[in-house]
Amino acid sequence: MNDSSIKIMNKSFNILDKRRATLLQDEATIKLKERVKNIRENSVEHISPLLEKAQEKLQENGIEVILAKDAEVARQTIYQLVKEEDLVAKSKSNTAGEIQLTEYLESKEVKVLETDLGDRIVQFDASRPTHPIGPACHLDMGKISEIVSDRFQREVKAEPRAIMDSVKKDILEKIPQCKVGITGANSVAAEDGSLLMVHNEGNISLLTMLDLHIVLVGIDKLVPTLEDAVSVVKLETIYATGKTVPAYMNVVSSPSKTADIEQILLKDMYGAKKVVVIFLDNGRSKALKEKKECLWCIGCGACIVNCPVYTTLGPDFGYLRHLGGRGIVLSYFIDNDEVCYDSGLFKCTLCGLCTVECPMEIATNNMLEDLRSESVKKGIYPEKHGEIKENIKKRGSPFKPGT
Amino acid sequence: MSRERVKKISDATEELLKRAKVDYRILDNEGCCGSVLLRTGFQEDALEIIKETFKNLKGEKVLVSCAGCYRTFKEDYPEVLGETLDVIHTSHLFLELIKQEKLRLSMDEKEVTYHDPCHMGRHMGEYETPRQIIRAHAKLVEMERNQEKARCCGAGGGVRSAFPELSSEIARMRMDDAKSTGAQSLVTCCPFCVHNLESVQEGYIKSSDTVAEDKQGSMNIMDLSQFLLERIKVEED
Repeated sequence: MNDSSIKIMNKSFNILDKRRATLLQDEATIKLKERVKNIRENSVEHISPLLEKAQEKLQENGIEVILAKDAEVARQTIYQLVKEEDLVAKSKSNTAGEIQLTEYLESKEVKVLETDLGDRIVQFDASRPTHPIGPACHLDMGKISEIVSDRFQREVKAEPRAIMDSVKKDILEKIPQCKVGITGANSVAAEDGSLLMVHNEGNISLLTMLDLHIVLVGIDKLVPTLEDAVSVVKLETIYATGKTVPAYMNVVSSPSKTADIEQILLKDMYGAKKVVVIFLDNGRSKALKEKKECLWCIGCGACIVNCPVYTTLGPDFGYLRHLGGRGIVLSYFIDNDEVCYDSGLFKCTLCGLCTVECPMEIATNNMLEDLRSESVKKGIYPEKHGEIKENIKKRGSPFKPGT
Repeated sequence: MSRERVKKISDATEELLKRAKVDYRILDNEGCCGSVLLRTGFQEDALEIIKETFKNLKGEKVLVSCAGCYRTFKEDYPEVLGETLDVIHTSHLFLELIKQEKLRLSMDEKEVTYHDPCHMGRHMGEYETPRQIIRAHAKLVEMERNQEKARCCGAGGGVRSAFPELSSEIARMRMDDAKSTGAQSLVTCCPFCVHNLESVQEGYIKSSDTVAEDKQGSMNIMDLSQFLLERIKVEED
């Protein structure tokens, strides 16, 4: 990423950081954090039984459930569901980013309408999102107006409302052409068979009204109850945005239905006729065995906002939409050693600030240190480190004599 | 690191030890603590070095200037070897010597800011000792990002050797943090931090031990030992 984008990103991050500061010290926040930490640690400990329970309950509620062991299976499954469509609507999802869903569908002639404003702008610009909740953090208003003007072939003023209105109008014109809405879920309540989605723009509400609602979610997002799920997303919102609640929390537990006529169950009232959930493993079971901590993540992005390396390199330090050090840990389990190296395994200074910033206190530096050791065993490490190792072994010092 | 790359730190430390009449010796076969190998993933090689170094240091009271050595001896040795060493960091010794009045220093009203090395601060929870020393002899002005939230100098984890540009870029951000305090001097207690922060200062001459204090817009970057020696010399003048 270029210097000016990094500067704009860091400016956005600083505003966010200041906005959060007081709220993070609030007693209620600290209590919620402790509660959610328990929920997440326990849930990760019991992913298998939770997944079984979720399957059972979601199906009971009339939701179709598919398990996808990897990205390829997930992409194929979704493609099979949408292959007749010209255009599908989508909300912001890091999991969809992880399987590169948009790129895949577009390569198969199914166009994707990103409905999150930041995502849509990034889609026009073909740049990489820089924050899990604020993907267009690296673009300033002038640049965004250029991108949008170029796309619509007319001048859109460098003014926030003008930009928003022009993108909104375009999206609203296109949504009626879509029969399918694809979203992620921020948390899944296994015992209730409920999917919880968080948004501020209202776009997910629109997507849940389309004929088919596809929900792509990692198996790590499971928690026992809906109350747990609400706690998780509340804390995520606080850490990600500095607000206590998002504008919207949608809970989907069934396709649309009514029983208003003599208690006779009728499906297909206003909302989706069909809801399909795809639970994605994609290395998570492996991570569970070796580095389960990395699955505690609630997706708030607090780890990258002050990370010395992320604020220098931007999304080049991370893996697809899993940004920063924790994304690098995931890349090891989702992909392989080379990809992990390229994602920045050796670029972390191991300073440990992300652990302080993380509401789940995930010790990413320790995980990266362990993964480096695995990488070294396979001979994948920076050349310079190899030289230093030789110096230490030869003369007990990292340095060459006389340098 | 001090002895080979930032000699002014080991020199200043020795001078202080002499002045305080502390009985000390430098090992002829001073080895590496193994930190560098551990952080960069050379686990097996690290273990060899660690065993060797432990053998040489066992039974001694060990004084270290480096935050990385300190963390490694205190945290990693017990974990890797199941053995402990009697290790103290120079900041601990200095505070002790000042309390016992073996080091007498003057107070200066000049503003000084303190940079928390990651290996001392976040990793070992050592925030107060160096601050106590500085507060007694100068006006300590904190950077906005301090203690638990301090920004890394960029040298850690093998980043400086493998990705020097990234490392310098981070050091520049940390120097900006420091400069916005208005202080003329930055004190820290890790040779890696001193070395990396100094390397991005304007007018920095590689492999030189001179301080770039008279260069415009640059700060006087010092290890705690240098800071103390400077205060003692003022007292003597």
